[in-house]
Amino acid sequence: MLSSFAKRLYGIAIVALALASLPLWAPRYWVLIVMLFSLNLALAQMWNLLAGYSGLISLGQQAFVGLGGYTLAVFSMYYGFPIWLSILIGGMLSVLFALLISAPIFRMRGVYFAIGTWTVAETLRILFSNWKYVGYGMGLFVKPAYTLSFNTIFYAGLFVGVASVALIYFILRSKLGLGLMAMRDDETSSETLGVDIFRTKLICFVLAAGVTGVASGVLYLQNIFIQPFSAFGIDWTVRLVFITIIGGIGTIEGPIVGSFIYVVLQQWLSEYPSVSLLILGVIAIVVILLAPKGIMGTIQERLGFEILSPRRK
Amino acid sequence: MLAMLAGLKNPIMNGLLLGGLYGIVGIGMSMIFGIVRVVNLAHGDLVILAAYLSFVTLSIFKVSPLLSLVLVIPAMFLIGFIIQYYLVNRVLGKDMNPPLLVAFGLSIILQNLLLLIFTPDARALVTNLSIATLRIGNFVNIPVVYLVDFIVSLATIFLLSRFFTKTYLGKAIRAASDDEGAAELMGINAKRIYAWAMAIAGGTAAIAGVLVGMTFTFYPHTGPDYLIIAFGVVIIGGLGSLLGTFLGGLILGLAQILGAHFLGPGFQLISGYVILLVVLAFKPTGLFSKG
Repeated sequence: MLSSFAKRLYGIAIVALALASLPLWAPRYWVLIVMLFSLNLALAQMWNLLAGYSGLISLGQQAFVGLGGYTLAVFSMYYGFPIWLSILIGGMLSVLFALLISAPIFRMRGVYFAIGTWTVAETLRILFSNWKYVGYGMGLFVKPAYTLSFNTIFYAGLFVGVASVALIYFILRSKLGLGLMAMRDDETSSETLGVDIFRTKLICFVLAAGVTGVASGVLYLQNIFIQPFSAFGIDWTVRLVFITIIGGIGTIEGPIVGSFIYVVLQQWLSEYPSVSLLILGVIAIVVILLAPKGIMGTIQERLGFEILSPRRK
Repeated sequence: MLAMLAGLKNPIMNGLLLGGLYGIVGIGMSMIFGIVRVVNLAHGDLVILAAYLSFVTLSIFKVSPLLSLVLVIPAMFLIGFIIQYYLVNRVLGKDMNPPLLVAFGLSIILQNLLLLIFTPDARALVTNLSIATLRIGNFVNIPVVYLVDFIVSLATIFLLSRFFTKTYLGKAIRAASDDEGAAELMGINAKRIYAWAMAIAGGTAAIAGVLVGMTFTFYPHTGPDYLIIAFGVVIIGGLGSLLGTFLGGLILGLAQILGAHFLGPGFQLISGYVILLVVLAFKPTGLFSKG
């Protein structure tokens, strides 16, 4: 008999192999779906790290989506940097920007933090639409992305998605994660036990910014076209909130299930984007009212079933 | 120097009048923030919903937008009551996040519902006030609609403050907000009181929506813009007084118009945001808050 840990490991390996070999046997449409799923998963997993584990409800993740996308466009197009390097620079600039705004932003708590981060993103949106260097509100074409094959972008997306899940898993099982759990249960008493709350939250905020910047770089390889009003739009965070809430906030599996539901619904109603947002909004409210832990959180509570447990046995 | 100051007369006047409109946009959010301790992220969308309700009313009865308030205020009052009583009340508790996220969901639902019904086209509540200007002395030109906004806002805030000090319901709302437990011991049903408070906030959103619709064009997705304005007003003004909220509106309006005057029209919103962020970072309880 295999131990349950080994079974789980085999399960994960089979799923990973199936996804990685997807372009070899599946129709192109499936490949596209899995890529969109992976990218949404990476973004949602980062929002989950903030809202679900660090108690930071950020409504400004679109700031890093926009920065990641614009950095890719500017560096690869204006300066001829390699595409992947430009995407990494996008992540690094997002980290720098997160550090820069953390001084004023971390003076705000709870709701103030939420609106503060949103206002920062709105400020970027208007700055970029008034900035000649990035083509005002008209935006930029990420022309170098045309040189990449569809499969290459798929693997980049899959990598980002899988890496984001792995990152969260290892963070939660590290000392940092232990601090996060203690903080979530009781902020005051965890502080007296030696958890540096400010530092812990800051690390999460900065990490989330970096991964969001990189993931959105890959996203704009697929989108090709970047404009301030969509790149810095609140719609990004709306999506992440819905994905995480419906799937289960504060669980690793939650964003996985949520992203799947989101992408399926979005594709199914692709001709009526406002209907799919409407439905997601209704589902999210019903979930908060009836099962505040979301789909995976509720399943875990009822059945004690976890695929990726942050706990050490 | 004198010439520059004379040139500033118009922007300052317009900024203050626009600030009056911002005051009424923010007042409902300020009430709910202060009384229920919930940030209603759907407040901007309620304002825009009211503008659309007025738009529908006007297409049936050909009257002045201000007269449509006779129908729009009760409708928004009811919507506010229902939202609080059946949705937000159920998730109130120690954790601030569920009410925030319910309101956020509501905001997205409202925006997309409006988009489905009214298409993304720009709308406006047309009145002959919109194009008239008033000339005071030799220097200052005031768009009449701004003046109407300012006067209606001021009147609403005056009536609200009378309501909170003179009526039983007003006193009960203040009691429930000061100390929920003690108020309940005195026989006040706090949850029901919260629903009344949200209903009144809906009423103020109705007035704000009609004024916004008379002054600017609006779309189904304009709600969040007014949410940030409302939040700016609440933050700058601080919790605690209706007058503070109104002053917050004036400051935000002035900051925007002066920003646009000195830096160009693209910077109108940004100068407001910068003021908001500075206040958030250095005095998050607001400039006019007690304590």
